[in-house]
Amino acid sequence: MRANKGGFAGIGSFIAKAWKRYSFIFVFAIVLLVYSFTIEANGNTFKWGHITAILASQNTVIVGTMALGMALVIITGQIDLSVGSALVLCSGVSIMAFNMTNSVIITLLAAVAAGALCGLINGVLAGYAKMPPFIVTLGTMLIYRSLMLSVVREIDPAITGSSSSQFALLSENSAYDFLRMKFGTGSVPGVSIPYITFVFVAAMLIILLISRRTKYGKSVYAVGSNEKAAFLAGVNVQGVKVSVFVITGILVGIAAFVQACKIGNVTPASSGKSYEMYAIAAVVLGGVSMSGGKGNLLGVFFGALSYTTINFIIVSIPALTTDIQDTFQGLVLIAVILVQTVGPVIKERFIEARKRRASRKQARIERAESRG
Amino acid sequence: MAILEMQHISKAFGGVIALSDVHLTVEAGEIHALLGENGAGKSTLMNILTGVITTDSGEILFDGKSYPNPTIAMMERAGIAFVHQEVNVVNDLAVFENIFLNRELKTKVGLLNRRRMIEEASGLFTRLGVDIDPCAMVSELKTSQKQLLEISRALHASAKLLILDEPTTALSTQEVEHLFGILRKLKTQGHSFIFISHKMPEIFEIADRYTVLRNGTFISTGFIKDTTPHQIASDMVGEQYLDKDYYVPRQLGETIVELRNVTGHGFSDVSLEIKKGEIIAFTGLAGCGASEIMQTMFGVLPFEGGSIRVEGKSLRGSIPHFMKSRIAMLPSNRKENSVVPDMNILENTCIAEHTLSKNRQMISGKQELSRYEDLKKLLWIKSESPKNSILSLSGGNQQKVFLARWLNTKADVLLLDNPTQGVDVGAKAEIYRLILEFASRGMTVIINTLEIPEIKKVSDRCVVFFEGHVAKIFQHDEINEHDVMLYSTNAINTRGGANHAG
Repeated sequence: MRANKGGFAGIGSFIAKAWKRYSFIFVFAIVLLVYSFTIEANGNTFKWGHITAILASQNTVIVGTMALGMALVIITGQIDLSVGSALVLCSGVSIMAFNMTNSVIITLLAAVAAGALCGLINGVLAGYAKMPPFIVTLGTMLIYRSLMLSVVREIDPAITGSSSSQFALLSENSAYDFLRMKFGTGSVPGVSIPYITFVFVAAMLIILLISRRTKYGKSVYAVGSNEKAAFLAGVNVQGVKVSVFVITGILVGIAAFVQACKIGNVTPASSGKSYEMYAIAAVVLGGVSMSGGKGNLLGVFFGALSYTTINFIIVSIPALTTDIQDTFQGLVLIAVILVQTVGPVIKERFIEARKRRASRKQARIERAESRG
Repeated sequence: MAILEMQHISKAFGGVIALSDVHLTVEAGEIHALLGENGAGKSTLMNILTGVITTDSGEILFDGKSYPNPTIAMMERAGIAFVHQEVNVVNDLAVFENIFLNRELKTKVGLLNRRRMIEEASGLFTRLGVDIDPCAMVSELKTSQKQLLEISRALHASAKLLILDEPTTALSTQEVEHLFGILRKLKTQGHSFIFISHKMPEIFEIADRYTVLRNGTFISTGFIKDTTPHQIASDMVGEQYLDKDYYVPRQLGETIVELRNVTGHGFSDVSLEIKKGEIIAFTGLAGCGASEIMQTMFGVLPFEGGSIRVEGKSLRGSIPHFMKSRIAMLPSNRKENSVVPDMNILENTCIAEHTLSKNRQMISGKQELSRYEDLKKLLWIKSESPKNSILSLSGGNQQKVFLARWLNTKADVLLLDNPTQGVDVGAKAEIYRLILEFASRGMTVIINTLEIPEIKKVSDRCVVFFEGHVAKIFQHDEINEHDVMLYSTNAINTRGGANHAG
């Protein structure tokens, strides 16, 4: 009997530990469960197709890839508001490169190089010039998008591939078929998992490896956790701060390449709007602390999946019109942060109260004993 | 009649016991010295009294009233004021505005009544015998004046019990006399004081009674006139530690560190030669430049003139540059400058070594773990698992982890800036034992500390700084608290104290 009880306690503490470390997986599981209920409630059956739709969604692949970089930036205690605009810039550059060269490699490299440059500008201003990252990236957010708005207007439509308001892949180019039809919108036959999802997964694995198993990764956490201590341990704090912006830029470049292949075009006036906010939301849902120093990159992966699924739930509820949908997105986000920040406080209070009760009880017992 | 009674006070932070069953009784109209080494629990006890932190158990009786769950506001209203070591005044306001902060006098239409506030402030200063212009900006005051301002402010808020946390650290001898004069006057008017200080002569000059804490426990209490400095010292540090003398003279090697006319932030024209295997102590009052010199020797602060040579090589540049020349620095203020709170013990140990080995980016978990286990054994680190949070350790064990962080870099020269700050007595003794052990293995150790008795226990030489200059270098046999104090306060040059120093 006693052994049995111990066994239960063991399982209990195992679950408690797993919950604490991998809460993001549980969150995703719950969100997915709710999604399946709403689908059933609408009179449909929950199918594999619903899951591949989550995996193929813009919010998973594009925002998720950017969120990996955003997480590194947030872990160092900074923020990057320019990723949505940088996405537009990189997509535009990458589409123009494709239209001019018809080369898949150059298209990819152009996107990545543009992204790295955008990130380097943010990083140098925030890391070396020590300006507040919030303001720096607010500025570059305006700059990157408006640059593309004028570029698309000024440049020959033969290069932009479309009208004066849009960049588009030229379908006459011979590589178009591979880039857009095969890679951008195709999926693995049989399981129908989109190819572009693998780009996101690969990016996640690489960033996860860097964050966990390299000395550089440890220094990123150290800078966010206690910048002064990291500096005094010889960590190149400024270098780390710049580098996370550059990594984010590279990831934005990759996301932009995927975006161009998936959609085939980009509109500077509207594409990627608020994506910085969605990326931050995915990071927060993944359990990364906004105050820096803490967070698991695997969590960001699941955070992106959860965020997409939450969107799907909101869209699938017929009573919610498009106008009110953002309200619910906002509420869900606030609720998650509330649990993250208030949760530990409540726990602390609970423990304190229990301790006090115990010590008062102890005092009563002692007094009774000394009287008796 | 007792104005304050604290009974059976206990407090633990996480698993670390800070106070256990501590008593403190302060009579009305007395100056009560609260004594104990750093980490003995004095601050914790005072923080409980002033409502900054909650107590786990025990009773607080102040002015005849019980306070089961005191808050800061509650204790302020009751008449307890804390005059902190780092003076807590608003630099950007005028003196009188500081006194009336949050209690501003207003005219009938609700505007500030400057004239009355200035009058009242100047009346208060006259009564106390304090010479401060009520309209001066606080930023222009000297530290001693700021301290008196804070005391005046507390008295103006009708404080009955004032806690003075090391009030004389930054004061000159005359300023101390002046302060003591004021305290004696206030005492006769019925005010009580809890006086926290490490300076024995002062305690015997000003205090009426004392309470000694050690390691978070109550040791002794009584009248100052019935005891001796030696008795109190042994109460504070514990007999067994006091009696142990670890120091043994060692054969020193060649010169390894050479400072030649180095001028930098807060010090100028410092020249020193330090031999391989030597233990040197830097000491002096707060702001004497010792900590700055140490930071300059590690590349934290730049220097303007002179040269720093290690094994003949001239060094200049950033921290990693100095680390490559096998210098390590354990900074002061552990929580601010050493602890990486979101990392575990192992990660905290390896972070500095990563800087040196960054050409091999992949981490070998196995290798790091075995090196950590070696260091753990060497330093007697008490921890369950290297994967536990650094915050789960006590102050002393944390400090040992940070020593491990630097030993892990295979440094030859170890700079320790106030290494026993906030460390309990036992761990402190261990740290000093380790310092001697490192030196016997050929490491060079430089310690910056204010704790002169401990300097005497370990160091071959003691360099006393005053206002950024080397005031005096004592050999091991010459080190004693009285003479070191004379040179660090520059009393030697102000009162013809040269006779005393020999």
